[in-house]
Amino acid sequence: MTPEPRKKSTPDRRVVFEHVSKFYGDVLGVNRVNLSIPPGITGLVGPNGSGKTTLMNMMVGLIRPSRGRVSVLGLTPENPEELFRHVGYAAQYDAFPPGLTGYQFVEAYLRVHGFPAKQAEAMAWKAIERVGLVEAAKRKVAGYSKGMRQRVRLAQALAHEPSVMVLDEPLNGLDPMARAEVIDLFRELADGGLHVIVSSHILHEVDLISDQVVLINGGYIVAEGEIGDVRDEMEEEHPMQVLVRCDRPSLLASRVFEADHVVEARLLEDGRSLLIRTRDADKFHLALNEIVLANGFAIEAVAPADSDVNAVYQYLIGANGDKS
Amino acid sequence: MSELITSAAPATTRSGLPWGQWWIQLRAIVRLELRKGFRRPYGLLLLALAPLFILTLRMVVPHAIQDSADIAGATQFFAGLYQAFILRIVIFLGCIAIFGNLIRRETLDRSLHYYFLSPIRRELLVVAKYVTALIVSLGLFGLTTVLSFGLTYLPNDSTAVSHFLFHGPGLGHLGAYLLTTVLACVGYGAVFLFFGFFFKSPAIPALVVFGWEGIHFLLPPLLKQVSVVHYLQSLCPVPVSEGPLATMSDAPAPWVSVVGILALAVVLVGVSAWKIRRMEISYDES
Repeated sequence: MTPEPRKKSTPDRRVVFEHVSKFYGDVLGVNRVNLSIPPGITGLVGPNGSGKTTLMNMMVGLIRPSRGRVSVLGLTPENPEELFRHVGYAAQYDAFPPGLTGYQFVEAYLRVHGFPAKQAEAMAWKAIERVGLVEAAKRKVAGYSKGMRQRVRLAQALAHEPSVMVLDEPLNGLDPMARAEVIDLFRELADGGLHVIVSSHILHEVDLISDQVVLINGGYIVAEGEIGDVRDEMEEEHPMQVLVRCDRPSLLASRVFEADHVVEARLLEDGRSLLIRTRDADKFHLALNEIVLANGFAIEAVAPADSDVNAVYQYLIGANGDKS
Repeated sequence: MSELITSAAPATTRSGLPWGQWWIQLRAIVRLELRKGFRRPYGLLLLALAPLFILTLRMVVPHAIQDSADIAGATQFFAGLYQAFILRIVIFLGCIAIFGNLIRRETLDRSLHYYFLSPIRRELLVVAKYVTALIVSLGLFGLTTVLSFGLTYLPNDSTAVSHFLFHGPGLGHLGAYLLTTVLACVGYGAVFLFFGFFFKSPAIPALVVFGWEGIHFLLPPLLKQVSVVHYLQSLCPVPVSEGPLATMSDAPAPWVSVVGILALAVVLVGVSAWKIRRMEISYDES
């Protein structure tokens, strides 16, 4: 058998959930989920027990939907022989087959894929190198630190060069340096056209790495899309907050408050900052330009104060979410 | 607009069933299972060696062997040892440990999902695990059978043993016992593989089967047919008295026993394969 890369044309480049529900007996896992996830990094965000892992496990067929249909690039988990050529999944189960070294772990499952020995060896080393685990590769996984175990799982999931990477809490247990390296790896994979679907409850990291987010709470999808778009849709209920630092904040407050889309302008304790809440951020920025030019304000900074995942999460899921 | 999906993939046969690919994957699973599942089988080794301890004791205990030329006596002794101990205890318990844990062990250590996330037919996974367990059990208990057979005749007069083996029925007996061992592993293995899928703790139904097989000699002829040992005993070359309480019944023809056990194994492995196809990973419930 000679190794050969395979190219397969499919019309569907998305991960799709259609009316998907999952019940564990009487307990709701997820309910009526409709999602269409494009390539890039997608952050799956929600508190513990919100249904993130259930969604991921359904994507790869570890569990089946009670209702609805899941497809990944047009393939269903009913056809694992085809699906798992294109999908790699690093589950959050911190468990490994006993007695194997990191290298053996990665290589053995490549052989199970059907790769010949030489090719499996080369691919295993490549994956181990990508996650920065070369030096520890010949040691038993049982002796690894949590971060190393996390990385070797990642290596195993990406070793067969999948088009879709599903990663359940992949940054758990990693030290800051390793986190930065792994995030760079995600970006590299996503820039190469892959789907990288990452679950996390560490919001600032999701904000940092995600091209789009899916917010889930209590088994329901609360919001999905690019974080800016999601935030824009919430402007009416949760006016956008903009922080402005300038030389005369009191005067600026009185000027901007004349605009009808501005609902609040609050001076902060440092005496140079102003927190403005507006129902229309675009109009506000236009108005701010005019006011600054007309009054000659010296502006030091203008920055959105609540347009990140953290703010969206707080508004949509709130303090009840088990956020850490 | 269609776009390209590029993934590294092993070359596969494009037409018909991918037998070549399945064969490669089966070998890879067997290799991995042997490496991770049977690393330190000390308990199994002890179990497999137990008949050899008994036979060694028989050799060292004074007057245990009255007449070294008594090949018939040794043959009868081995027949009793094989049917009462090797077949009903050693192989039975060994198969529970080997086959009953094929899925259960990985559910407990939470590593089964790695197979489920590989591009393999789950049915193939069941077959590969069953084959691995057969390799291990046949290796262990086949050796036990051969060594026990040899050790039984070791204290006897070498000329008489040589005559028994090469000019008498000796090698035929050994072949028949080996065939029985093979079929015992095939049959009991399939039963315990099946239990591993359908029961959270395979030990409990296995205990029931152990009791059932144990009282097999008391069962009426019709019920005897619903036990594996009934067919295995019929393949043993030397009959053993089961005592005054035993109910008499006709032994099945050897071909019926062989075909029957093989058919049982095919059915049970098939049902297990059907089950794994629908299996979900829910380690928390295990």
